[in-house]
Amino acid sequence: MKSLKHTYPYIILILSLFIYSCEDFVDLDPPSDQLIGEEVFKNQATVESALIGIYHQLFQLDYSGGGRSSIATLAGISADNIQNISSGNISRMQFQEHEIDPDNVDNLNTWSSAYNMVYATNSFLEGLENTENLDQEFKQQMAGQVLFVRAFTYFFLVNLYGDVPLVLSTDYRANQLASRSSQNAVYDQILADLVLALEQAPQEYINGERISVNRQVVRAFLSRVYLYMENWQEAEKYSTQVINDTGNYQLMEDLNQVFLANSLEAIWQISPIGAGGLATQTNEGNFLIIDPIFSFFAAVKLEETFVSEFDTIDKRLQNWVGYNESLDAHYVHKYKIRLSNVFPILEYSMVLRLSEQYLIRAEARARQGDLTGAIEDIDKIRTRAGLELLADINPDLSQEELLTEILSQRRKELFAEWGHRWFDLKRLGLANQVLGGNDPLWEDTDIFYPIPEDERKKNPNLTQNEGY
Amino acid sequence: MKKFYRRGMLLIMFLLAMAFLVLLALNEAQAATPSPFYQQEISGTVTTTNGEHLLGVSILVKNKQYGTTTGSSGQYSIRANLQDTLVFSSIGYKTQEIALHGRTVLDVFLEEDIAALKNIEINAGYYSTTARESTGNISRVTAEEIKYQPVISPLQALQGRMAGVEITSGGANPGGAPTIRIRGTNSLRREGNYPLYIIDGVPISSVPVESNSALSGPGIDPLNNLNPANIKSIEVLKDADATAIYGSRGANGVVLISTKQGNRKGLEASIYTGTSSLSKKLDLLSTQEYLRVRREAFQNDGVEPNNFNAYDLVLWDQNRNTDWQEFFFGGKAEVTNASLAFSGGEKNTSYRIGGSWFSQGTIYPGDYDYHKGTGNVALNHTSEDNRFEINLNANYGIDRNNLTGNSGLNITTILLPPNAPSVFNPDGALNWEDWSEAGLTNPLEGYFNTTSTQTKNLNANLLLSYEIVTGLRLKSSFGYADFTSDELWKLPAQSYNPAFSPVNNSSHLSTNRSSWIVEPQLTYDHSFERLETNILLGGTWQKNQSARSSFQGSGYASESLIGNLGSAVSIINASSGETEYKYAAIFSRIGLNWDEKYFLNLTGRRDGSSRFGPNNRFASFGAIGAAWIISKESFFGNSTDFLSFAKLRGSYGSTGNDQIGDYGYLDAYQATTGPGGLYPTALANPDYSWEVNKKLEAAVALGFFRDRVNLGVSWYRNKSSNQLVGYSLPYLTGFSSVQANLPATVQNKGIEIELATINVDKERFQWRTNLNLSFPKNELLSYPDIDQSSYANTYRVGQPLNIALLFKFDGLDPETGLYSVSDANGDEKLDFEDRILIKNLNREFFGGLNNSLRYGNFSLDFLLQFVKQEGILSNFQAGTNSNILSSILGKSDLQRYSASYQGSIAYQNVLNSDFAYTDAKFLRLKTLSLGYDFPQNWVKRLHAKQIRIFLHGQNLLTWTPYEGLDPESPTSPLSLGNLRSITTGLQFNF
Repeated sequence: MKSLKHTYPYIILILSLFIYSCEDFVDLDPPSDQLIGEEVFKNQATVESALIGIYHQLFQLDYSGGGRSSIATLAGISADNIQNISSGNISRMQFQEHEIDPDNVDNLNTWSSAYNMVYATNSFLEGLENTENLDQEFKQQMAGQVLFVRAFTYFFLVNLYGDVPLVLSTDYRANQLASRSSQNAVYDQILADLVLALEQAPQEYINGERISVNRQVVRAFLSRVYLYMENWQEAEKYSTQVINDTGNYQLMEDLNQVFLANSLEAIWQISPIGAGGLATQTNEGNFLIIDPIFSFFAAVKLEETFVSEFDTIDKRLQNWVGYNESLDAHYVHKYKIRLSNVFPILEYSMVLRLSEQYLIRAEARARQGDLTGAIEDIDKIRTRAGLELLADINPDLSQEELLTEILSQRRKELFAEWGHRWFDLKRLGLANQVLGGNDPLWEDTDIFYPIPEDERKKNPNLTQNEGY
Repeated sequence: MKKFYRRGMLLIMFLLAMAFLVLLALNEAQAATPSPFYQQEISGTVTTTNGEHLLGVSILVKNKQYGTTTGSSGQYSIRANLQDTLVFSSIGYKTQEIALHGRTVLDVFLEEDIAALKNIEINAGYYSTTARESTGNISRVTAEEIKYQPVISPLQALQGRMAGVEITSGGANPGGAPTIRIRGTNSLRREGNYPLYIIDGVPISSVPVESNSALSGPGIDPLNNLNPANIKSIEVLKDADATAIYGSRGANGVVLISTKQGNRKGLEASIYTGTSSLSKKLDLLSTQEYLRVRREAFQNDGVEPNNFNAYDLVLWDQNRNTDWQEFFFGGKAEVTNASLAFSGGEKNTSYRIGGSWFSQGTIYPGDYDYHKGTGNVALNHTSEDNRFEINLNANYGIDRNNLTGNSGLNITTILLPPNAPSVFNPDGALNWEDWSEAGLTNPLEGYFNTTSTQTKNLNANLLLSYEIVTGLRLKSSFGYADFTSDELWKLPAQSYNPAFSPVNNSSHLSTNRSSWIVEPQLTYDHSFERLETNILLGGTWQKNQSARSSFQGSGYASESLIGNLGSAVSIINASSGETEYKYAAIFSRIGLNWDEKYFLNLTGRRDGSSRFGPNNRFASFGAIGAAWIISKESFFGNSTDFLSFAKLRGSYGSTGNDQIGDYGYLDAYQATTGPGGLYPTALANPDYSWEVNKKLEAAVALGFFRDRVNLGVSWYRNKSSNQLVGYSLPYLTGFSSVQANLPATVQNKGIEIELATINVDKERFQWRTNLNLSFPKNELLSYPDIDQSSYANTYRVGQPLNIALLFKFDGLDPETGLYSVSDANGDEKLDFEDRILIKNLNREFFGGLNNSLRYGNFSLDFLLQFVKQEGILSNFQAGTNSNILSSILGKSDLQRYSASYQGSIAYQNVLNSDFAYTDAKFLRLKTLSLGYDFPQNWVKRLHAKQIRIFLHGQNLLTWTPYEGLDPESPTSPLSLGNLRSITTGLQFNF
């Protein structure tokens, strides 16, 4: 008995040492609320979640969210459609006055959020590439959608900043000193991504919601890219393919229904789901609508010179332009809901819609000399707006006159959406003439925003745009 | 494979426990062997004069070669002749010799030997030491100093009592976590500066618990659920010698909390009650004065007051006068505490069972309160031969904190114009009309919101120990801790302006933290002639799990249904998360003591932590400490009356800081706020590792006049390097930074002085004084490329971490009469580049002076806390639509009264200039306790041992030139800091 008693402690000691030998003890399983990148791409369900995450995040990120620091707001203010109500917001005033300081915070937000999305798409594409578990067709369908989002993001970067660093991987060690690639190189990448996306993206929307990317979305955007590249044939070709898909896309007769979630006119939208609270609906609604009582919250309004361009019978003036008496100001009223915490979500943030396709094709046709075809397209837009048909009142417009009419219709149709007016004035070489006329501080170099100062401090290889 | 290990672990733990139980049984069997001595058996109990049972008292039969020691409940038995004399001795107590004179039962009271305090045992975590022999720096606060303080968390009771330990209150709301810094700020990351908390051997997370309530700023103190009256002592480990044995967790110091054990017999009960209120009211302008200033401001600006720019002058009643300070924060918070403990036991077994109830109100308008109930059990058993010991401690606490859920009810509301309209309508609803007339929202918007937070905390530890052969002891401790917090925030529609058609909402948050720890240890104590050795070898396996979930419910049909999820129209913004942390280590200590003259202490630890990347999981830490008691040397002669004790001490070593998020090295995708999405949230760096804190200390301890005056002076220098910070990256990489270790170094050095004197030590009158004084100095030694980091405008190399970067004040602009500051670089704009002055916001020195006086049955204790520092001036902008201190009116160096935008810009600029800083030193009567013990003959008649009545005051008086609310927060003049409380109570010991 006695000897037994003395052996126990030694047994314990030996057992204790045995436990220590397992260094594996400090290995952890991954947490339940996050997934390691590698794990995400091991099965279909989590890959789908990562794709949904990208679509959700488009709403949360500044450049694409439609809110205060979005491209829609900033480029809108830079152009001649929207202006600040008070000059108190120094940062946004710099956009209005075309005197953007390189350390402007809104400019940095747009830049940084766009590159954050670039990272997410690169991470997604790398993850897919490195996994072996998944079905090839599924992988392609996923990759096609994400390639589109990357190309879409680069399109805005290159149009806002000119030459931009072309980051196509997630390795921060390699990327942190990236220098700017030429606009041509960026456009080549955008086209490459879109062409691949067109091959790989699914034919249909996922779950019928127009917030995922299908091949028509890719075509609709390709037509815009080719328009910007002045490749009129291609622009016409792709817009025609979308326009002809009448089973899926039609112009809404009632202008108040255009911006509803999954409206027939919508080609691609961003859902505000997940914002929560009073901001359950779109940022555009929240930011652009001036409340009749609480007008002191308002930040921006429509420029009066723009409002006066509308024909009084234009339904777009009646339905898409609001008026606040206490501020004596017109405001964007395309989205109808300013604040609401009621479900379901009624309006989605519009990115691509059918009327733009008609306008693209009209321009592409006009450029190629098909004036009748162009008038036909423009009249689709004019009819819907309640205006007389060009074919009836002015069928013999010259090409130049017709292009002016197209530009004017683009402005009235697409105002406050994704900076269309700013980019149109730039690509048509009209910025100096149109914007310089009203702004004594205007300089030729103002057509590009500055590379954020913060960014240049951290990456000495980044050059600044001229004029800053 | 992993599963196998996990099961293996469980099995081994079970085996360990079983083995000890077997040992226990064997011991009990052996206890029956008869003693070899042919004498009478003498027995009795040894207690202190306070009635506490004393463990480990040595009892020798005088002039004979044998003796015994008392067990855990103070009991002893020894065989001796009835003519013998017994000698009772214990460290820290006066030795007594008592002749038996034929008695076989002898109960003894030992009197505390205040001159020998440095012999009292100090808890050093894995081992214990004494002030005399220690090679490291450990500060200690005992039950006497804590128990009557009407505080929720025991940490708050430490304010001003320890050198080198800086504690600032967590605000006026009950339950807010105070900030504790042991020897300064070591990490550049705010969240990397928490010390390690250990309760009875179980480490618990010191990170404040997340809350959406009024405690969202400081967070909830994880120690709230402890009963301060059940704490025996709190030790704070500071230098390398004391902290290196905690390895990667010891960088910011260690707080050891020990709860009371069953070492006295009987019942203790105490109750106190009282009130707390805001300790200072600002002297603000009355309506007449305020309106006069406003009118003058408009005159100065040359602007005509109208509805928009001067609703207070044009629209509002010119005679209405509300003291908003009194209205919002003038309440009295009732505080009540009752605690009860019962101790008992037999010869080798003792126990203590206790419980307490605490409640406290708030100073806000409305019906809010805090309640807590605690329960605790301690069980100690020693086998007959003292070889086997078992100790069990369990503390359980549950509290409910009902607070205002109105995030708008902050202190700035006291600056509302005194003639502002009523916030309530006569029917009790919020008044929207009068306020919106002026284009304002009712400042009490959200008034009917409430939060209710319930937390539960269990902390349990089992320690088994067995002496295998003399000197060699095997111990194993098993700990478990579980903390949960559930919070419901109700946001009824009636809190909001009906014009916005608000709906009833709720917000829910729950968190859970649980951990278990197993620490087997082997100790060997042996004396070779004059060399005494203490060797310790141990291992740690710890696993923490924490989980949180939150969501919001919206659209409840009626207010009474809020929180009932079934009636919510929608549940939104749900998020949840779980993290796991595993930790394994092996640690060791070798303590050497030559002739009680030379001491050497070597400690080391090898740590593995799951918080670090696979490439950097393991690291080693260690320290060397040495002490030399010079007064023991022969050349020192027999201890002179003047200098009775002298010791030199020093230590050097390294500790780590692993307070970074879990899984930080993983390339992680997290859930998006929109449902069903995953999105990458950060760049991953698989190589990151812990911050290392190298600590150096040198100290001297001196005793004068037969140790009636004890002086300790320590000098320390801690260098915290390998700082884990966001390494800044251009955004084109996707993110602005990646967590990485940078060769940035923060240094804390300083001098700490502790002086303890026994001024009078007579039978009827005793007077003791303790002084502690700290001179800390903090500096950011290096930070490569700080200009490009996110800290560019926060820190400066060569300066402390806690600084303000300021413009240079340029006087009043003679043209405008407004403040002007220098445009240092002459670029025509004012930005961070022009902030060329650096203001150190750290405390220059701080300390506490405690006096304890006893006269007969009366006792008086008071602590004076003092701090030398600078702070920011209180709101001194006169002319705008917020109230100001009336003292501002008399000042001539301020800008003219102005309500203009330019005036506000000038004020904002000067607020960030040297002009705005002022002396914020303070001297505070932190605690004052007056007690009276009823005479023994009365007490005996009630069959009690002690009956005591006491009066206690907290933060009674503050002397300061500072004009803000609480100089403890010198950079936010409007901060509700420490409340003033006065309580009275009774204590019974039966």
